[in-house]
Amino acid sequence: MAIMMPASDQAVLARRAEIVAALRAIVPGEGVIDSAAEMRAYESDGLTAYRQPPMVVVLPDTTEQVSLVLKYCAGQGIKVVPRGSGTSLSGGALPLEDGVLLGLGKFKRIREIDFDNRVVVTEPGVTNLAISQAVAHAGFYYAPDPSSQIACSIGGNVAENSGGVHCLKYGMTTNNVLGCEIVLMSGEILRIGGKGCENPGYDLMGVITGSEGLLGVITEITVRILQKPETARALMVGFAQVEAAGECVARIIGAGIIPGGMEMMDKPAIHAAEAFVHAGYPLDVEALLIIELDGPKIEVDELITRVEAIANGCGSTTCQISTSEAERNLFWAGRKAAFPAVGRISPDYLCMDGTIPRGALPKALARIRDLSEKYQLGCANVFHAGDGNLHPLILYDANKPGEIERAEAFGADILRACVEFGGVLTGEHGVGIEKRDLMPEMFSEIDLNQQQRIKCAFDAQGLLNPGKVFPTLHRCAELGRMHVHAGKLAFPDIPRF
Amino acid sequence: MDTLRVRDAKDLEEVVRAAIANEQPLEIIGHGTKRGIGHAMATNAVLDVSALSAVTSYEPNELIVTLQAGAPLADVLSMIDSKNQQFAFEPMNTAPLLGTPALGTIGGMIAAGLAGPRRIKAGGARDHLLGAHAVSGFGDSFKTGGKVVKNVTGYDLCKLLAGSWGTLAVMTEVTLKVMPKPEAERTLLLRGLDDAAANKAMTAALGSPFDVSAAAHLPKSAFRATTEGLGDTAGKGEALTVLRLEGITASAAHRAGSLRELLAPFGTATLVEDAASSALWATIRDVLPFAASGALGAWPVWRIVCPPASGAALGTQLARETGGELIYDWGGGLIWAALPPKDDAHAPAMRLRAGAVGGHAMLIRAAEDVRQSVDVFHPQAPGIAALSERVRAGFDPKTILNRGRLMRSPAA
Repeated sequence: MAIMMPASDQAVLARRAEIVAALRAIVPGEGVIDSAAEMRAYESDGLTAYRQPPMVVVLPDTTEQVSLVLKYCAGQGIKVVPRGSGTSLSGGALPLEDGVLLGLGKFKRIREIDFDNRVVVTEPGVTNLAISQAVAHAGFYYAPDPSSQIACSIGGNVAENSGGVHCLKYGMTTNNVLGCEIVLMSGEILRIGGKGCENPGYDLMGVITGSEGLLGVITEITVRILQKPETARALMVGFAQVEAAGECVARIIGAGIIPGGMEMMDKPAIHAAEAFVHAGYPLDVEALLIIELDGPKIEVDELITRVEAIANGCGSTTCQISTSEAERNLFWAGRKAAFPAVGRISPDYLCMDGTIPRGALPKALARIRDLSEKYQLGCANVFHAGDGNLHPLILYDANKPGEIERAEAFGADILRACVEFGGVLTGEHGVGIEKRDLMPEMFSEIDLNQQQRIKCAFDAQGLLNPGKVFPTLHRCAELGRMHVHAGKLAFPDIPRF
Repeated sequence: MDTLRVRDAKDLEEVVRAAIANEQPLEIIGHGTKRGIGHAMATNAVLDVSALSAVTSYEPNELIVTLQAGAPLADVLSMIDSKNQQFAFEPMNTAPLLGTPALGTIGGMIAAGLAGPRRIKAGGARDHLLGAHAVSGFGDSFKTGGKVVKNVTGYDLCKLLAGSWGTLAVMTEVTLKVMPKPEAERTLLLRGLDDAAANKAMTAALGSPFDVSAAAHLPKSAFRATTEGLGDTAGKGEALTVLRLEGITASAAHRAGSLRELLAPFGTATLVEDAASSALWATIRDVLPFAASGALGAWPVWRIVCPPASGAALGTQLARETGGELIYDWGGGLIWAALPPKDDAHAPAMRLRAGAVGGHAMLIRAAEDVRQSVDVFHPQAPGIAALSERVRAGFDPKTILNRGRLMRSPAA
């Protein structure tokens, strides 16, 4: 494992049998898993390059059990790693050797559907897609749609602040969650927010969303649901240069049009996808845009015309417009299958997730090409072009000595470039362990200390999911100490009125 | 009263550091337009950030604007309007309600986090703050977030800063999302509905596929005849229920037609377009019927947030118990209540009734002596209050920033 995790607590490991017995007293029956064979299913998440079996797996099915497990672990100084469906692409649910893996998979019930208030109250183990399915009969859906939506849990979505193709128009998880029940590491159960638009006091829900399982364990979530748009149509537009495609994206936004989704693929990604799903993608273009417009039919038809004109003005070489749901789905099929398609042309790939300002797209692509040359590794690019979120897929072969290291160095350089161009390290996959050690590229020690003080407010012992997000761990007492700044004791010389 | 008018972020950091060293709490102000909201602060030193007023960058094609915290909101709004863009959360102008002269600053807009009618569709200030630079109560300049919409790098401290009323950190620069202004707006207007029927009509509209961007109800009132912005819709204070559709012209008009059919059981809706529609929604956003200069100017005003479908039942009960006047926004999820003057501004009833439906009530306008005797902000459950205090102390352990603004001092 290339990344250092917190040192295992040997005293805890020595007491494993006693800890397992104590957890069995809280979660009876099959809810505690301690056999090496059965625990193997939990040794990794979606970032499969890293594996570590946990000390023990606990699968509670009530909030009270979660509370008792956490209270016990806090009292005994035992680390806990929460896990939803285990689809994290950044290693957020990677277990610790001396830690309890707390799985929320048994929290599978939707507790309430309230159409009048346009909310669903759900347990965290329910999948993202299941929420949409549960309200589809009334024309509603839950807007954020990460690619893993058939498998990923809504609890994990909140932990990671998941995005998806449609978040350009409909926002990320944080813009669609109203409240939660959360259990702190101490075992304390808190309820935050509810069916109203806003919560009183500091926006705790806002800081919990995207906190990657470091602040608490969520046991219930209230999400808002929307009416499905009347219709959706897509354009598939090819360009001879990547720059022209980038310009097209900028002009669409500049014209005041916010598409439901706006995706870009570069030539290697187009070829891989076409070979896999035969969506009819043009193979002689350098960049392909899939632009989806949704809303009332009259609006979609009008905007399709406007977007087509903009694309023509940017020198598009091909432009197809979907005339049926089947055709629209076909346009998307290649994009949605881009990751497995790339998996067919390369034994292994690393998926990166930086975000850049939209205008920096051509610059970023040129940099990626240079880096590809430097590291002698291929790279296929798919982007959420509308919001500047890049997913370069770095192709490598883990069986060839040195390739994984080169791929990781390539990926790190791409993320550094994202920050250099005014962007950020991760747009939707999270920091986890994958980008943890790159955090200083974006944040100073002061910035990171301020973030860690929030951690201290929720989990002063630092027992919940340690080793994720932050490259350096500080004790809370140290973070809370005031520094005397340069001995300046008087107000400086500034105008007073 | 000592006012320190800082020239730049460096000055600001030094003032905060000096204040920490001297254990001297600071009241943070921009234009000071919202000083009347919250409790009187336990300090006689004012930190004025209004000179940090620059536009750092405005990139219309990136849909972002980066501003110093003291930038005047009025100037910023006209700048982005010139590119046909807006803050989609429709920040409220508190000046008419509070009787202050100006619109205030960007920093004040974020720190107060008061969103307008489009809150139900586009989110609040919290949803549009992408990044911030700020000075904490440790005297440290830190940044959080970034300049892109899609970002999950580290904890989202922007969410905490929005609506923190200056009690966590002093923002120096912020990056905000801007959105294209809709090409057209259409408002459907129903007359004469009681609160319960209006709530049902709003629920039907917001549960429809017609993408309603605002839904409000002005109950029958003897005090509204002279309210500006209502134009000939003001009538004689009869009840008005209004629903807004925005987008490209053909779409807004089409959806207005479809929605009118859907709402036929509630009466025949009339149509208000573009400028008249904008004026109507500005009136609701800024709560002009309760303006400080109007007939109800001396009445305390509450801002209640609740589950939208509970709005009418809650509001009707409150009006009956207090003799107050109401305005419903957010499809019933936001109630403005102006209540006849009373020593405690009817706080026990407001808190009890709002809390009972899972809502919360804030006393946004009241005389200072009233604010000394009741909690302005809705009291929180003990566990949440304790966690919030730990979060606050993680930014400002010596309570240097806006000490006492959110909570009454125990002595009071």
